[in-house]
Amino acid sequence: MDEPAKPENAAVYIVKTTVNQERSVAGLLAQVAKKDRFDIRAILVPDELKGYVLVEAAVPEEVDQAVQRVPHARVVIKGESSFAEVEHFLSPKPTVTGITEGSIIELITGPFKGEKARVKHVDEVHDEITMELFESVVPIPITVRGDNVRILKREETE
Amino acid sequence: MVDKVCRECRSIVLSGQSCAVCGSTNLSTDWGGYVVIIDPSRSQIAKKMQITLPGKYALKVR
Ligand SMILES: [Zn+2]
Repeated sequence: MDEPAKPENAAVYIVKTTVNQERSVAGLLAQVAKKDRFDIRAILVPDELKGYVLVEAAVPEEVDQAVQRVPHARVVIKGESSFAEVEHFLSPKPTVTGITEGSIIELITGPFKGEKARVKHVDEVHDEITMELFESVVPIPITVRGDNVRILKREETE
Repeated sequence: MVDKVCRECRSIVLSGQSCAVCGSTNLSTDWGGYVVIIDPSRSQIAKKMQITLPGKYALKVR
């Protein structure tokens, strides 16, 4: 009897799609895979890739056959990618990247929207920054997500 | 209508006010990327994203 394939045995295959049909192709490919029992394990649709979806599967033939049953899915690009090559799509860059301690920022959302503040601490792991508001009577540090602010002045330009 | 995504597990919530996967009501309409997990136990993508249930997920949620 065949041993069940391990995750390590899968590769990633690139499927060309009609532009703006990437998500619908992914959904339909998943339906076809389930119904016709193709060994497709996951389908990845990063926003950065227009006109392509990435299919995690054990063998390219199964992807080929599934693609033929799905409208707007065109061809499987020859060759396979390793998981390592697509892994970066799974860990999007933190929004605090580029913000440094001492930078002057403006809050663009939340109760302090429009307030300016000086960055005290940047937490890349949690994607948060801690700051002190300029206009605050009491200098209480507040912490928000990196995408809640806009950089007005970087620390190094002072 | 824009689909919502659970901020806790990144599952796409197709209807209702809570996540069918983890039960959280912390949902967001500001999300990007798209992943369909079919066979989580044998998928490296699922493993890396710490997803254990098949379904549709976002890559990032704000
Ligand atoms: Zn959830």
